[in-house]
Amino acid sequence: MNQCFEKIVIAWCWLSTFLLITAVGVVIGFLVIKGGSALNLKLIFGDTAPLDALLLRRAVFDGLFPAIIGTLLLVLLAILMAAPVGILTGIYMAEYASLSVKKRFGFFFDILAGLPSIVVGLFGLAIVIFLHKYISAHVYPCLFLSAMTLAFLVLPYLIRSTQGALEALPNTIRRTAPALGASRVQNLFLILLPRARDGILNGVILSIGRCAEDTAVIMLTGAVAMAGVPRSVFENYEALPFYIYYISSQYADQQELLSGYAAAIILLCLCGLLFMSALYVNYNFRRGAMNRV
Amino acid sequence: MRMFERSFEKILFTAALLSASITLLIFIFMLVLGLPLFREGLFWDLLSDPWMPQQGLYGIYPMIISTMSIAFLGFLFAFPLSIGVAIFINGLAPGRIGSYVNTAVRLMTGIPTVVYGFVGIFLLIPLMRTILQGGSGMCVLSAALILAVVIAPTMILFFISSFKSVPNAYLRSATALGATPIQKLLYIVVPSSWNGILTGCVLALGRAMGDTMIALMLAGNAVAAPDGIASAARALTAHIALVIAADVNSMAFKSIFACGIVLYVLTAFFTAVLRLTTSRRAAS
Amino acid sequence: MSELPLNDAITESTTAIQVRNLCFNYGHRRVLNNINIDIPQNSISAIIGPSGQGKSSFLFALNRLWEEIPGSRVSGQVRIRFDNHLVDIDSPDCDLYELRRHVGLVFQAPNPLPMSIWKNIAFPLRLAGKKNKTEIDNRVEEALKQAFLWEEVRERLRDDARHLSGGQQQRLCIARALILEPNILLLDEPTSSLDPRACETIERLLIELQTSRTLVMVSHYQDQVQRIASHTFQLADGTLQPL
Repeated sequence: MNQCFEKIVIAWCWLSTFLLITAVGVVIGFLVIKGGSALNLKLIFGDTAPLDALLLRRAVFDGLFPAIIGTLLLVLLAILMAAPVGILTGIYMAEYASLSVKKRFGFFFDILAGLPSIVVGLFGLAIVIFLHKYISAHVYPCLFLSAMTLAFLVLPYLIRSTQGALEALPNTIRRTAPALGASRVQNLFLILLPRARDGILNGVILSIGRCAEDTAVIMLTGAVAMAGVPRSVFENYEALPFYIYYISSQYADQQELLSGYAAAIILLCLCGLLFMSALYVNYNFRRGAMNRV
Repeated sequence: MRMFERSFEKILFTAALLSASITLLIFIFMLVLGLPLFREGLFWDLLSDPWMPQQGLYGIYPMIISTMSIAFLGFLFAFPLSIGVAIFINGLAPGRIGSYVNTAVRLMTGIPTVVYGFVGIFLLIPLMRTILQGGSGMCVLSAALILAVVIAPTMILFFISSFKSVPNAYLRSATALGATPIQKLLYIVVPSSWNGILTGCVLALGRAMGDTMIALMLAGNAVAAPDGIASAARALTAHIALVIAADVNSMAFKSIFACGIVLYVLTAFFTAVLRLTTSRRAAS
Repeated sequence: MSELPLNDAITESTTAIQVRNLCFNYGHRRVLNNINIDIPQNSISAIIGPSGQGKSSFLFALNRLWEEIPGSRVSGQVRIRFDNHLVDIDSPDCDLYELRRHVGLVFQAPNPLPMSIWKNIAFPLRLAGKKNKTEIDNRVEEALKQAFLWEEVRERLRDDARHLSGGQQQRLCIARALILEPNILLLDEPTSSLDPRACETIERLLIELQTSRTLVMVSHYQDQVQRIASHTFQLADGTLQPL
């Protein structure tokens, strides 16, 4: 065992930490420096009065408002679709599934979790094509189908976090209510789920973040560069991540480039906020678990 | 009451069945939409031909090479970095610095890849242009560098949880024998965690191969296979995103389902390998 | 070195460990309160007392292992004999890692490292930077002989150490602690997880070792203490009194 070797390793560990932190710091700093100045109401609402825009009385043409609304609607719809299915599946996996079912389904969910998002987007597109050909020619890529595809994307996260939260509950807690005569469902709703609530919430928050940031899926299923606030879920729409991608290759002037930087900052803040709340929930979950047990 | 229990269980099972079937449906849809390729026996050609639609060649071979190059190079950059940071957080960092860096790394996993791509285009690419003296600056190397920063945080967190599961008894005996922190990490913790480290690597490699935005925005998207890290490349994922604009009924369009199938099979393979190795580890 | 009272000076030449005003706090709990004792050289000194009262903590104060336990605070002075004079273990001249190599510690439950038997024993040598393979081989054999384990393992040095029996593992840990030739060996209830036969072997081993080193042993077996210890200290209410 070499003192020299050990010193080199120590130096490398410090260096690599410094490199990584610096790299991320440069990314964030670069965005803030370049785009911070553009963060104002005009950026979001263009030439339209904010109140008019918020009440949807007038359309916004030059601002990020439609993209922000698009992202919010997307996330809302996707989670509404994915959460019930995902959480119920997670409950099934943790509480009712036999070992062989667990293994088989678990394998499928792992594959789903590992699939590149563009492949899931491709699936969404395939569904659109299929519906367009065989059901109705009026079916086009739209907000609803994008949200559905995003739901497919985040389903495994919801399943995993629910299953994990429930499986982590100690056996002593699991057996208390049944010993007093409670049924399985009663045990689930009165004891287990409340205890696992934070873990499940953590999964939901992470899924929200995933939906907000994804670009590949929405690129293939209905996001466009210029659509305004959609009047129905069956229309095209704008979204922040797609806007950022679009601007990066198609910006017409300095103003548009600036708005791209600003959009990136907004998206970063949104995801950062979501992530910090997930960390906070996680922290509370851990603390609560220690206190209660 | 009994009936409610039974129907609730049925609802749960339906949800699970629905979720599991989605995974299968994805593969089936790819297969069905790519069917013309199989009928004419073109599928294997697709895997070895170059992409030249004008000559009727819809091969994705260059894309496969590109995906592998970008992913492996990115992994090559990310792995030593991640081990270094993981060791730093798990014992080398003085005082509370370790936990601050840990939180920073966890926050990093939430940064959208499109944001990295955006910054990459306006910060890294011009730099690459000057360093490589020519070309657009968009190449395998650029994509790999940013990709490394994207996959490193997940790898680091995975390594740390492996390190933490080394039994305390080993560490205590080493301490009593006068081992310094770095000695404990190098000669006990890391060697005991090889399984976890390997799993983390496989996961990261899978993620690197499946990434879309970084490859799409930074690697240049040239249709020819790259002949060096400074040449432009088009990954399978980026290819799918770019060919989408083509006519729905064309062969070109159908070829992207071949890409989808390749990516799907790769993912399934990686997943199976991971499940096997972790179950073996759990058994021992 | 500071001025010592006269009776200290008389026993000092045979003292291996000198403890003055040692206090050990764990969180808000005061575990050891003003301990003042001298532990003589080349003998077995036993520390007895009820469980959970701080006997292990006393040992951890002697090789500064308490610094690895979060929430611990120690005050007072501990001086240990190195090269014929007593050295304050908290002084800047005393390197922490050197200290731990010169004051060996054997834990209550045997804890072999996840390596072969040979690598386990050789580990401290390699930590200290020794590279000469012949030298290491010789010293490994020597340490295993001193720990009464050589005959049982000489044919399977490459086997994983975790496959040994409990008693063998504990002797392995003793051999591992002995390889750097420490003058002082601390033992935290070394036989409490072993069967009577293994126990007997270890006791014979300790009696043999005391001729060349100082042993400080924590035990809650009165009969064991009567069998092998030459000096006994009782831990009660946080203080240590000689018996």
